[in-house]
Amino acid sequence: MKVVVMGCGRIGAEVATRLWRDGNQVAVLDLEPESFYRLPQGLRETEGATLVGNGMLEEDLMRVGIRGADVFVAVTASDSRNALASQKARHIFQVPRVVCRVGDLTRKEMYQELGLTPLSPTDVTTALIVDAVGA
Amino acid sequence: MYIVLVGSGTVGYHLAQALLNAGHEVAIVEKDARKAAEAADDFGNVVLRGNGADSSLLDAAGAARADVVIATTGNDEDNLAACQLARHRFNVDRTVALINNPENEVLFRLLGIDITVSSTQIIMSQIEEELPTRVQFHLLSVRGNREMVRVEVPPGADVVDKPLHGVALPADTRVAALIRRDGYLKALNGETMIEAHDEVIALTPSDNAEALLETMTGEA
Repeated sequence: MKVVVMGCGRIGAEVATRLWRDGNQVAVLDLEPESFYRLPQGLRETEGATLVGNGMLEEDLMRVGIRGADVFVAVTASDSRNALASQKARHIFQVPRVVCRVGDLTRKEMYQELGLTPLSPTDVTTALIVDAVGA
Repeated sequence: MYIVLVGSGTVGYHLAQALLNAGHEVAIVEKDARKAAEAADDFGNVVLRGNGADSSLLDAAGAARADVVIATTGNDEDNLAACQLARHRFNVDRTVALINNPENEVLFRLLGIDITVSSTQIIMSQIEEELPTRVQFHLLSVRGNREMVRVEVPPGADVVDKPLHGVALPADTRVAALIRRDGYLKALNGETMIEAHDEVIALTPSDNAEALLETMTGEA
């Protein structure tokens, strides 16, 4: 599969690395070139695997190869940025599967209805913590 | 009407003032502490500090009973999120978003934002409306309140294939030079024919510049 990942923070880098190790073609987009040091050297040095750019801009999405991507993953720290980029990927570039990180649970529910695949660290982490508390 | 404003920047602040003056009920959500404090100083306890793209803030601002939600922050992503929440979670009838980057207009419309306001777009259409469409350059001002202007003759203009003496120029106007499309400087007399794409350099009273433009570019 061809996967475009927006945001190379801890989660983005980890997601990109795992997908790449599983044999997928991965391209990672981030505003800061330093973020790419979170990626393993092999991926970092792969031609076309990293691009300094803004995933909310159509030009940068095209440069990173959004056309022909099977999956778009938006995992920056900002719900709003993730959602705008994701909806461009889904509705302007017709990417079939768009995974979007959303902290706000109300928004998660909304984006689900609007054709994205939203995931929330809020409910996942909450569930783990409640479980760990063991009350 | 009850109106929730997301963003109290230059646009949001003055919009709030105008809406309040017009007798509407307003709530303002502003992320920036300083801007929020300023708005609170002027408008009282209708200001909430926080991100209007956050559902809990919109809820607290009373979005559920709002007639309109207007998002005018400098971030298109927040304006989009606030309007989508207003529409899909708070059943607001009308959503209005300021668009900072013109390319986002297509997406916003596609996603059902009722009114999109792109300042770039507004200024562009204003300019296109106000300025002559044909190339005309004011070259210099000369004595007697006259000016030297440059007009390119478009194909299809009424003056094409007419001799200079057959063209009804505005009063006190002289054609000073005719330059052909290929750069050839045509010698002028009354019999000189005007061709499409000629560059006409003329001297005209400032008040007649518009009329000259119309003469050189107008179609029959």
